[in-house]
Amino acid sequence: MHSLIQLSIVVLLLPLLSFVILIFFNRRLPRRGDFVGVGILGTAFGISAYIFWQVIVQSYDPAFRVAWDFTWINLGNVPGVGPLQIRMGVVIDNLTSIMLAMVTLISLLVHLYSTGYMAGDKNYGRYFAFLGIFTFSMLGIVLSDNLFSIYIFWELVGLSSYLLIGFFFEKESAADAQKKAFLANRVGDIGMWLGILILYSQFHTFSFAEIYAKLAAGEFGLSNAWLTAAGILLFMGCVGKSAQFPLHIWLPDAMEGPTPVSALIHAATMVAAGVYFVARIFVLLTPDALHVIAFIGASTAFMAATIAITQNDIKRVLAYSTVSQLGYMVLGLGVGAYSAALFHLVTHAFFKACLFLGSGAIIHAMHHEQDMRWMGGLRKNMPWTFATFTLATLALAGLPLTSGFLSKDAILAGAIGFAQVEGGGIYYLIPVLGFFSAMLTAFYMGRQIWLVFFGESRTHLKPAETHHAAHHAHDSHDSHTDLHHAEHQVHEVSWNMRAPLVILAALSVFFVYSPDPLDGGKGWFMKMIPTPATVVGQANPQKGSLIAAATATQLAGAVPEAVVGHAAAGELPNAASSHGQATSAHTYSDLRQAEIVHAGHAAHYTAIYISSVMVLLGIGLALVVYVFNIIDPEKTALAIRPLYLFSLNKWYWDEIYQATFIKGSMVLATTLSWFDTHIVDGMVNGVATLVRKFAFFNDSFDRHVVDGAVNFTAFTVNTIGAMLRKLQTGKVQTYIVMLILAVFGYFVFYFTRLIY
Amino acid sequence: MLSLIVFLPIIAGLIILAVPSSQKQIIRIVSLLAALAQGVLAVLIWKGYDPALPGITAGPGGSPLGSFQFVEKIPWITLNLGSFGPLNIEYFIGVDGISITMVILTALVSAIGVLSSWTIQKQVKGYFILYNILAAAMMGCFVSLDFFLFYVFWEIMLLPMYFLIGIWGGPNREYAAIKFFLYTLFGSVFMLLVMIGLYFSVLDPVTGNHTFSLVAMATQSNFIKDAILGPDNVMWRYVAFIVLFIGFAIKVPMFPFHTWLPDAHVEAPTPISVILAGVLLKLGTYGMIRINFPIFPEVFQASLFVIGIFGAINIIYGALCALAQKDLKKMVAYSSISHMGYVLLGLSAGNSEGMVGALYQMFNHGTITAMLFLLVGVIYDRAHTRHIEKFGGLASYMPVYAAFVTVAWFASLGLPGLSGFISEALVFVGAFSSVTTRYIAMVAVLGIVFGAAYLLWSLQRMFLGQRRPDAAYDLVAGEDGHEHIHFHDWKGKIDLDGRELAMLVPLMLITIFLGVYPMPVLGMLTSSINKLVEVLSPVILPQL
Repeated sequence: MHSLIQLSIVVLLLPLLSFVILIFFNRRLPRRGDFVGVGILGTAFGISAYIFWQVIVQSYDPAFRVAWDFTWINLGNVPGVGPLQIRMGVVIDNLTSIMLAMVTLISLLVHLYSTGYMAGDKNYGRYFAFLGIFTFSMLGIVLSDNLFSIYIFWELVGLSSYLLIGFFFEKESAADAQKKAFLANRVGDIGMWLGILILYSQFHTFSFAEIYAKLAAGEFGLSNAWLTAAGILLFMGCVGKSAQFPLHIWLPDAMEGPTPVSALIHAATMVAAGVYFVARIFVLLTPDALHVIAFIGASTAFMAATIAITQNDIKRVLAYSTVSQLGYMVLGLGVGAYSAALFHLVTHAFFKACLFLGSGAIIHAMHHEQDMRWMGGLRKNMPWTFATFTLATLALAGLPLTSGFLSKDAILAGAIGFAQVEGGGIYYLIPVLGFFSAMLTAFYMGRQIWLVFFGESRTHLKPAETHHAAHHAHDSHDSHTDLHHAEHQVHEVSWNMRAPLVILAALSVFFVYSPDPLDGGKGWFMKMIPTPATVVGQANPQKGSLIAAATATQLAGAVPEAVVGHAAAGELPNAASSHGQATSAHTYSDLRQAEIVHAGHAAHYTAIYISSVMVLLGIGLALVVYVFNIIDPEKTALAIRPLYLFSLNKWYWDEIYQATFIKGSMVLATTLSWFDTHIVDGMVNGVATLVRKFAFFNDSFDRHVVDGAVNFTAFTVNTIGAMLRKLQTGKVQTYIVMLILAVFGYFVFYFTRLIY
Repeated sequence: MLSLIVFLPIIAGLIILAVPSSQKQIIRIVSLLAALAQGVLAVLIWKGYDPALPGITAGPGGSPLGSFQFVEKIPWITLNLGSFGPLNIEYFIGVDGISITMVILTALVSAIGVLSSWTIQKQVKGYFILYNILAAAMMGCFVSLDFFLFYVFWEIMLLPMYFLIGIWGGPNREYAAIKFFLYTLFGSVFMLLVMIGLYFSVLDPVTGNHTFSLVAMATQSNFIKDAILGPDNVMWRYVAFIVLFIGFAIKVPMFPFHTWLPDAHVEAPTPISVILAGVLLKLGTYGMIRINFPIFPEVFQASLFVIGIFGAINIIYGALCALAQKDLKKMVAYSSISHMGYVLLGLSAGNSEGMVGALYQMFNHGTITAMLFLLVGVIYDRAHTRHIEKFGGLASYMPVYAAFVTVAWFASLGLPGLSGFISEALVFVGAFSSVTTRYIAMVAVLGIVFGAAYLLWSLQRMFLGQRRPDAAYDLVAGEDGHEHIHFHDWKGKIDLDGRELAMLVPLMLITIFLGVYPMPVLGMLTSSINKLVEVLSPVILPQL
C-alpha cells in the first residue's frame, strides 16, 4: 500500500473518530469536547496538506494516480459471471489531493469558527459530532474509486446535511427544511442509482477504472441511448446534491441550519460534490448527455441569479448565489470546460465559505437578525468582516485580480468555444445565459454589500412584532445573547471567528492559483487538472479507440497534445474529416473535446471583455439603484410587479411542487390506503361473509335437509318399529301360531318350486 | 444439535407447565434461559458451519451429507399402505446457507421477544407456554428438510399465534386472530395437496421409495416422468406451483393477500409483533426459496416477470399506504409489506446478486423491523396511544429514545452504513441486471423515495418541532427551570430503561455492523445461492 494511500485513509477516518468520541462523550468532556473536533480536523488538514504537497508540488504530474482497493463483498463463483466481488478502494490523483486539502481546510476553519458562533448552544457537543460525520462522508466521496462507495458516502452526506439543517429541530421550519432536503436529494439519488445500475448490469463492476476500460474496449452491450441515459441519470445525482434545476428547491431552505454549516456543507463542499461527481464520470458522458448537462447548468445559473436579486434574507441571497454558481460549474462541465469547472469549484468554495462565515459574523453580531432591510452601516463596527466580505464579493462577482475572475472567465470562454464548435444557434444560449447571470451576480452582490455595510443602521425601522417573532424563534439557540439584544450593540466578532474569514479571503486572490491575473490557464491548477479523454465515441460507442482505452484507465489522462496542436493549426471547419483520416486512432468525440478546448482558448479574451462589461454593468446598476438613488428600487418593483413577485417568490417552484408532486403523492397515498381497507380488505371480509352466509345456509340445510333425512329415516324406522311391535305380544301361543304359519309358508314355497 | 435448538423451547414449556402460575418471575426466567441457550446453540452452529458446502440439492451419491450440515435423518412414520406402497415420513433436518441465516435470526428475535414479553401481566404461564411452542415451531420450519415435517411445524406455528393474538391482543384482537388463522390455513390447505402430489411424483434416489424429502425434490431427475407432478405433466406443475406460491405469498404477505398483516400487528402485543414481523413473514419467502422454486424451476423461470411485478407492487403500494397511516404501528406494518417486496423483487431477478440481496434483506428486515416494533411498543407503553399526531417535540424530552428511533428509521429507509442498504442495493443490482425484471426495477426504485417520505414525516411529526396542543403527554416545569415530560400513569423511567436498552442495543449493533461489513452473513449465503441459481438456471432446464 502506497504511503499516501495510508495517510489518506487516516485522514478519512479521523473525522469519524471525532464523531464517535463526541456523540457519546461530549457531556463528559470539558467545553463539550469542541477542542477534540478542532484538534482532529487540524490533524486531518495537516496530513491532507502533506498529501497535497507530495502530489501537486513534488510530483507536478498531470497523470499522477495511485490507487488501492480491497474486497468488500465476495459473492463467490456466480453462475454466468464467474468469480464476482464488490471492491472498495481509494484513489489519489491531483483532483483528489486538491479536494482533500480544500475540504479539510474549510472544515477546520468552520470548526474553529463554530467555537465562537455556536458557543452556549445546548447541543454544542452534538453539533461538533455532526460536523465530524459530515467531514468523514465528504472525504469518502472525494477518495472513492468506485461508483458504489461514492453512492454510499453520497447518501451519508445527505444524512449529515439532514442532521445539521435540522439542528434547531424545535423550529418547525427547520424540521420541514431538513425533510425537504433529504427527500429532494433522494429523488436525485434514485436517478444516480439507476445510472450506476445501467453500468453495473453491463460490466459487473462498480470501479471507475474498470468501467472506463471496458467502455473504451467496446464492451457496453446496450445501445448508445442507454449510455446517454446512464450519463443523464448519473447526472441526476448531481442535480439533487448540487441543487440544480429542477431539484434546487431544497438548498435555500437548508439555510435553516446554523450559518457555519451553511458555509461548510451548503456552499463549499457538499453541494460541490455533485460537480465533483460529474467530473469523475466525465469521460463516459456522451455528447448528448453533455448537452443536457450544459443546458441544465446554464438555466440554473440564470434562474437562481434572477431570484437572488430580490431576496431580503442575507443568507438566502447567498444561497441562491450558490445555486447560480453551481450552475456555472455544471455548465462548465457540460460544455467540456472540465478544468475550468473544477477550478471554479475550488475558488468558489473558498470565497463562498468566506461570504457565509462573514454573513454568520454579521448575524451573530446583529443578534440573529438576517433581514438585510434592517441592517446597514456595519462597515464601521465590523471592519474585518467588511474587508473580507468585500474581497470575497469581488471574487464572486468576478472582478479581475480575484480567483473568481480566473475560473469564471475560463468557464465562459469554454462556453463560447463550445457554442462555436457545436455550430452556434441554440447553443449560443448557454454563453449568453452565463454572461447575463454574471451581470446579475454583480448586481445582487453590490446590493448586498450596500444594504449591509453602507448607509446608516436601519435596525430601528424594523416592525416590532416581526422583530420579536424572529427572536423568539431563536431563543432556543443561544439565549445568552438575548440578554443583550435590547441594546443592539454591534461588535466585531472574536478572533476565532475572524481568523477563518481572513484565511478564506486570502485564498480568494488570483496569485494563489495563477501568476497571471487575467489567465487561469497559466496557473498550476489548470495544468494539474487537464481535461481527460472521453471513452465514448459519438458515432459508435461500442468501438472506443485504443488510445482512449489507455488514457481512460488513468482516469485523468490529458487530451493528446497532437490533437490540440493540430486543431489549433486553423482548420476548424473541416477538422473532423481531416482528422478522421489522418489520425484514425482518435474517435470523433476526442476531437470534439480538443476543438472545444482550443476554441475556448481562442475565446479567452472575448470572454474577458464581455464578462468585464457585464460585471461593470451589474455593479453600475447596483450603484445607480442603491448608492446614488437614481432609480428607486421600490417604485421599480411596483412598476414591474409581476416580474418582481415572480422573482421574490422564487419562480413559484415550491408552490408548483406542493401542488403537483407532494399533493399528488398524498392523494395517491390516501386513495391507496382507502382502497386497501375498503376494496382489498373488503374483498377478504366479503369472502369471509359469503363463507359465513354459506355456512348459515349450510347449517339450515343441515338441520332441515340432511338432518331432516336422518330424522325421516329415524321416523320411518320408528313407525315401522311401532307397527312391528304389535307383532311382539309376548304370548307363546301367538308365537307358536306364527311359527306354524312360517313353517307352513315355507313348505308351500318349497313345493311350488318343486312343481315348476 | 439442531434437534436441541428446535426442542429447547418445548422443554422450557414443559418446565413452565410444572411451575405454579403465581411464580411469574420463574416462568419468565426459564423462558429467557431457554432463549439464551438457543442463542448459544445458534452461535455454535454458526461457528461449526462450513460456508463452502452449498446445500439446496443432495451431495455426492444422492445423500444430503456433503451438501447439508448438521443433518439428522431418522425414519419417523412408516406405514405399509398395501398397493400404494410404504409411506415413509422422516424426521429429516439439516441446514445450508439459506436456513442457517434464518436459524440465527430466529434465535436472536426469539430471545429479544422473551425480554419484550417481560411486561405481559395477564396469564403469564399460558403466555410463555404458547410463546415457547411458537419459538420451537418457527425454528423447526427453518431446519426441516422433509416436506411433511415442514408442514407439521408450519401448522403447529399457527395455533399459538392464534391464541397469542386472540388473548393477549388489543381491543379488536379476536377479529385479527381469526383473520390471521384462516388466511394462513387457507394457504396451507393447498400446500397439503401439493405435498401429497409431490410425494407420489418423487423417488428417493438412494432407497427407490416415494419420499417427502425436500432434498430429493430439488433434483429434477428424481421425478417420475409421467407422475402427477412429473416433468411431463406441464399443466399440473404450473397449477401446483401457483397454489403453493399463493400459500407462501399469504405469509410474506404479498399484495393482494396482505390485509391480515396490518390487523394482526395493530392488535398483537409488542413481542408478538416482533416475532411476527421479524421471523414469521420470512417463512413465506423461505418457503418459496426452499420448496417452491427448486421443485418447479421451469415454472419459476416462466413466472419471474409476474413475481417481479408483485414485488414492485408490494414495495410501492406498501410505502404509499404507510404514508397515509395515522397509527404508528400500522405504518410500520405497511413498511414491512414494502420491505418484503424487496425480497420478492430480488428473488424474481433469478440471479445471484438479486437472490443474495433477497436473503440478506430477509435477515436485515428481521432485525430492523424488530427494532421498529420494539420502539413503537416503548411509546405505546408510556402514552397508551400510537397516534402519530398525538406527540410532537419528543426529541427534546426523550433524547435517547429519539436517537434510537432515528437510527432505526434510517436503517429502515435504507441508509448506507446500516444493513438494510446493502440488501436493498443488492436486490436492485440483481433485478436490474436481469433483462426480465429491468424495467420493474426502474419503477421500484421509487419505493426508496416514498420509504424516506413516510419515515421522515412520521419522525418529524412525533419527535421534532414542539409539543402539539393535543399531545398524549404533559410538560411539567421542573425544579431546574427546564420542562420535563410526564405521561399520566407511567411510573417507570421516562426515557429508555435498562430492559429496553438490552433489547435495542444488540439489534442496533448488528444493524450497524452488518451495514459496514456484511460478509459474516453474506459469506454463509453465497455458495448456497450460487448453487440455487444454478439449479434454477434456464440453461440446465432443457436437459429435463
